[in-house]
Amino acid sequence: MDHVIQLKVNGVIHKVLVRSSETLLEVLRTKLGLTGTKRGCDVGDCGACTVLINGKSMSSCLVLAVDAQGKEIITIEGLAGEDNLHPLQQAFIEHGAIQCGYCTPGMILTAKALLDENPNPTDDEIRQGMAGNLCRCTGYTKIFEAIKAAAKEMRKKGGKK
Amino acid sequence: MRDFNYFEPKSVKEAISLLGKYEGNAKALAGGTDLIVMMQNKKIRPKCLVNIKHIPNLSYINYDAKHAVKIGALTTLREIEKSVQIEKNHNILHQVVHKMASPSVRNLATIGGNLCNASPAADMAPSLTCLKAKAKVAGPKGERLIEMEDFFAGPGKTVLQDNELLLEIQVPPLPSRTTVVYLRHGKRGAAEVATVAIAAAITLETSGEKCKEARITIGSAAPTPSRVPDAEKMLVGKVIDESLIEKVARAVSNAARPITDVHSSAQYRKEMVELFTKRTLGLAMGQLKAGE
Amino acid sequence: MSEFQVVGKRVPRPDGKAIAVGRMRYINDVYLPGMLYGKILRSPYSHAKIMKIDTSAAERLPGVKVVITSADTPKIMFQTSYYGVKDEYPLAVEKVRYVGEPVAAVAAVDEETADRALDLIKVDYQELPAVYDVLEAMKPGAPSVHNVKNNIAAHIMHDAGDVEKGFKQSDIVREDRFTSPMVVNATIGTRCAVGDFSPENGELTMYSDTQKPYNLKPALASIFGMSPEKVRVIRPIVPGAFGGRAGVCDVQTAAGLLSIKARRPVRVEHTRDEEFAVQRGRQEVTLDFKTGVKKDGKIVSMLCRHYTNSGAHVDFGIQNTLQNVNILDLCLRSPNVKFEGYVVYTNTLPGCPFRGLLNNTFSMGLYSHLDMVAEDLGMDFADFLLKNTRKKGDVTTTNVRLGSCGISECIQEVVKASNWKKRKSSLPPNHGLGLGIAGHTAGFHSFIGELSTVLVSVDEYAKITVLSGRGEYGNAPTTLVCMAVAEELGLKMEDLFINDDVDTKTVPWEDGNYGSRGCVSQGRAAIAAAQDVRKQLFQAVAKKLKVSPSRLEARDGRISVKGTNKGMTFKEAVKVYTDMDKPLPLVGRGHYTPPTSEDWDIKSGVGNVAAAWGFGAQVVEVEVDPETGEVKLVEVFTANDCGRAINPLHLEGSSEGGVVMGLGAALFEGVRYDDKGRVISRTFSTYGLPTAMQAQHKITHKWVETIDPYGPYGAKGITEVVMLPTGPAVANAVYDAVKVRVKDVPITAEKVRNALKER
Repeated sequence: MDHVIQLKVNGVIHKVLVRSSETLLEVLRTKLGLTGTKRGCDVGDCGACTVLINGKSMSSCLVLAVDAQGKEIITIEGLAGEDNLHPLQQAFIEHGAIQCGYCTPGMILTAKALLDENPNPTDDEIRQGMAGNLCRCTGYTKIFEAIKAAAKEMRKKGGKK
Repeated sequence: MRDFNYFEPKSVKEAISLLGKYEGNAKALAGGTDLIVMMQNKKIRPKCLVNIKHIPNLSYINYDAKHAVKIGALTTLREIEKSVQIEKNHNILHQVVHKMASPSVRNLATIGGNLCNASPAADMAPSLTCLKAKAKVAGPKGERLIEMEDFFAGPGKTVLQDNELLLEIQVPPLPSRTTVVYLRHGKRGAAEVATVAIAAAITLETSGEKCKEARITIGSAAPTPSRVPDAEKMLVGKVIDESLIEKVARAVSNAARPITDVHSSAQYRKEMVELFTKRTLGLAMGQLKAGE
Repeated sequence: MSEFQVVGKRVPRPDGKAIAVGRMRYINDVYLPGMLYGKILRSPYSHAKIMKIDTSAAERLPGVKVVITSADTPKIMFQTSYYGVKDEYPLAVEKVRYVGEPVAAVAAVDEETADRALDLIKVDYQELPAVYDVLEAMKPGAPSVHNVKNNIAAHIMHDAGDVEKGFKQSDIVREDRFTSPMVVNATIGTRCAVGDFSPENGELTMYSDTQKPYNLKPALASIFGMSPEKVRVIRPIVPGAFGGRAGVCDVQTAAGLLSIKARRPVRVEHTRDEEFAVQRGRQEVTLDFKTGVKKDGKIVSMLCRHYTNSGAHVDFGIQNTLQNVNILDLCLRSPNVKFEGYVVYTNTLPGCPFRGLLNNTFSMGLYSHLDMVAEDLGMDFADFLLKNTRKKGDVTTTNVRLGSCGISECIQEVVKASNWKKRKSSLPPNHGLGLGIAGHTAGFHSFIGELSTVLVSVDEYAKITVLSGRGEYGNAPTTLVCMAVAEELGLKMEDLFINDDVDTKTVPWEDGNYGSRGCVSQGRAAIAAAQDVRKQLFQAVAKKLKVSPSRLEARDGRISVKGTNKGMTFKEAVKVYTDMDKPLPLVGRGHYTPPTSEDWDIKSGVGNVAAAWGFGAQVVEVEVDPETGEVKLVEVFTANDCGRAINPLHLEGSSEGGVVMGLGAALFEGVRYDDKGRVISRTFSTYGLPTAMQAQHKITHKWVETIDPYGPYGAKGITEVVMLPTGPAVANAVYDAVKVRVKDVPITAEKVRNALKER
């Protein structure tokens, strides 16, 4: 079934023609040209497709595009906003948390949602909060270090970004 | 995924009518975290999805003065996890959802969806059964209440008709001197279906050490989340000590009907049922003692 | 002042920003105008004759542009490994030999239509008896997969000295069998390719995630019946590879064949379910180790019988097996060494390379077995190993020549770091400490003798462009090549630009990244190219400054006379160069092929296949829950001989990732089949991929610098070595904790519990 929908992504409203069966992930990548959000499994197992919807991290492979109307969607491309790099992006680069980089967008957005709710998480809270994001390259250690470093930086700058 | 018709009803009546019209070929879409997955895996190919998220007043956590709670079927697992009231009054539910899937999936998944998907491993079911929860369901002929333990008909099947909709879960307050414990066993400790899960609710007599009431529910080790009445009876009226726990654990294990699948063998699951019943009951007794 | 400016520093990936903001184009992000979506129809049977294929209904489906079967191909068999056998078709001809074997393919306007079209293709199969177990397949009368006697695709025999005599001379002889299922690369991005055929010039461009673009080009050309000059491979950035993208893959052949017929670009990407169903990996293997030792701990005889379940096609089955011949006596000396390997066909998934090839399972088996030998001797395992370790300059019985060898130092470092003996005797209950070691290639001889080339050019703004055909998938050749160029030219990493995509039309020849060869060959080629630029610049500057070029150095953005202030900025130097009527771009060429590496003898595995060899050791502490059987990693101490630690940031990340990957193979991972040969482990969770919850351990690293004679600044690639000691260390630690050995890997909770029950 076809629908003409409006999706607000990174502050911009797009009008798109979609089928019922197209997920937000597919539409972001193939119709809006936003390929920063990655496809890993299509079943919510890996977190590579994580986006922020109304500030909450969600697996975009499980959200139908037609069901994403009227919401504020942020993808990795829109995270930095007016800055060049968000502290999480900066920290991931500096701390060697990027190897192949495919899980990176999903990791960063999940971490952002985590830190927005809990600006000073313990190691356990970081681990549990990130447990739905899989990485095959890094063994997770430097990802945790990057998140902790970014959290410190974000606390310094004060509150939500 | 194969394409389908898609509607966004604005009322329960409209939703039920749509579901009925498609005679089993339509599915209610809430969080989609089970439904979309099954469609991607080609396990089901519904002709229509009825997105019920635009029906108002189906997402809430309402406590009354007696600390009973009504949870709307569309309440997300994350909302339950973050609810201060649930953490205080029905802490077991907080613990259960905290261990489910991942935060990004919990932001989407709903309590209604977890129950209606009716997986034998449905994480919310064992503890809700132990809590004596009821499900409020709406159909063309009106509403009915179903005891949680009667909610499931088989793997992937509830007792709901095609044209019925789960509206709300009602959980009574915890009686005094009661504790509920849920332990789940998994391979990697995260983001996975439980291999085995046990929930137990123990209520002691108003005074003294004897057990007044016991509920034990198995998850992931039977076609549906199941109570074990024979094992429960062994506890009632007794002082629960280590040796009784061992006997009860064996009885629960004997009652379990697990399958061998890609995760584990049936034999291992049976052994884990026994082990986790022991641990669950041990933990429950420890909590009761500490709480006094 | 440090000898180096960039080498030895913690350098993040130079293209990290593009990745962090979502702008990096991976193979999965390639969408071309007019592109169609392709899907592959696969065999549902593990062994069957194809009687008839009817594609007419699929062809009639609106939105379907082309449907192909083997009739649309030149029916040319291919091999994926240099040491392989041409036994595979891109689309099955007459017979299917494993569940998932490609039989047909469809290109349509979108994925859903292509998927619907697959359902409409009618294939009549006649099922044949199938065989899945490697030892069963070798028995007379077993179903024949490829009309080869006893399904034995290759028999490898290496026999040095006299092992039987050695066993008779030994004080203790011990034999153990280990098995492992297939373990797959399981990268987060799935396999993807876009074939783009240009009818106007008969050229096919293949966008692919290959680790070896320049080898893929002739391989695909052969499969498509085209001349290699007409095939162009473009490799965008790749979402992880770990070896799995070294061979030819069905997405490439399908995308190419579909595009040729459709005369439009066609994209083929595995779904995750599909990837788990057909993804190739480290082969299932059965290993028998037999070792004889003297009372004092000296090894007298080492024997290995190696049964590789190569699945339905050889693919890398022979190569993966040959490598273990080198590995058997790589770390430890033995006067008598025998290796007998069988590469056997069955009706299961073929294998491919996966980080370490079969060394992963091999080292897990060998160093668990030797841990037991040490126990039989009443000797501490570290002491036992150190009694037998190799040294620099050794030549093994397979002609492996160790230009550098830090295995002893690695063992000593982890023994020290973990406080080995004291810690072992004072652990809490159910905790155990285990030691594991490994050695591996840091290079690989194949095709055009293992050549890497790099071009470096300087533009009018004195900015550097580096062209390298490296396979970048997180293994950091980008960082290494740029660091080498920056080091030699005295510049910062920010002054450099390096190609993201590798285009075989515009970037010079490169053997690719596998076998940990990138560090030595690409590093040396980058140094050579940068030095070529430097030489030309120095000549111009020397003339200007009226000094001999040998007195100049490039440091901190300047070119100056050594030990003086006399000089100029790099930018000024480039101007001096152009003022002398020399044209820009100023170009430097570098190439490198290690002099001492050689082919294997395919019958015996003898041959120094790598000029450099890396080594590593790990001590791990585990905690075992004796009731559930679950094993948790508590702490890991690593020490790796990397030649020189060029970039500790990357080395640590590689080691941390390697340990978790090694842990995954040791405890959770494995492809599981049903009794009809269908893969049933189809999700990350059923397969057992480690999550963040498996990274609760503390980990420390030590870099042993043995300064290899061939490596860039003495460095060697160790991205494989860092994961290999984890398996044996964990297995040995579990034994130390609860005194059970699980020799059929993975060491799952269920197996530990069962072993404990039996004890």
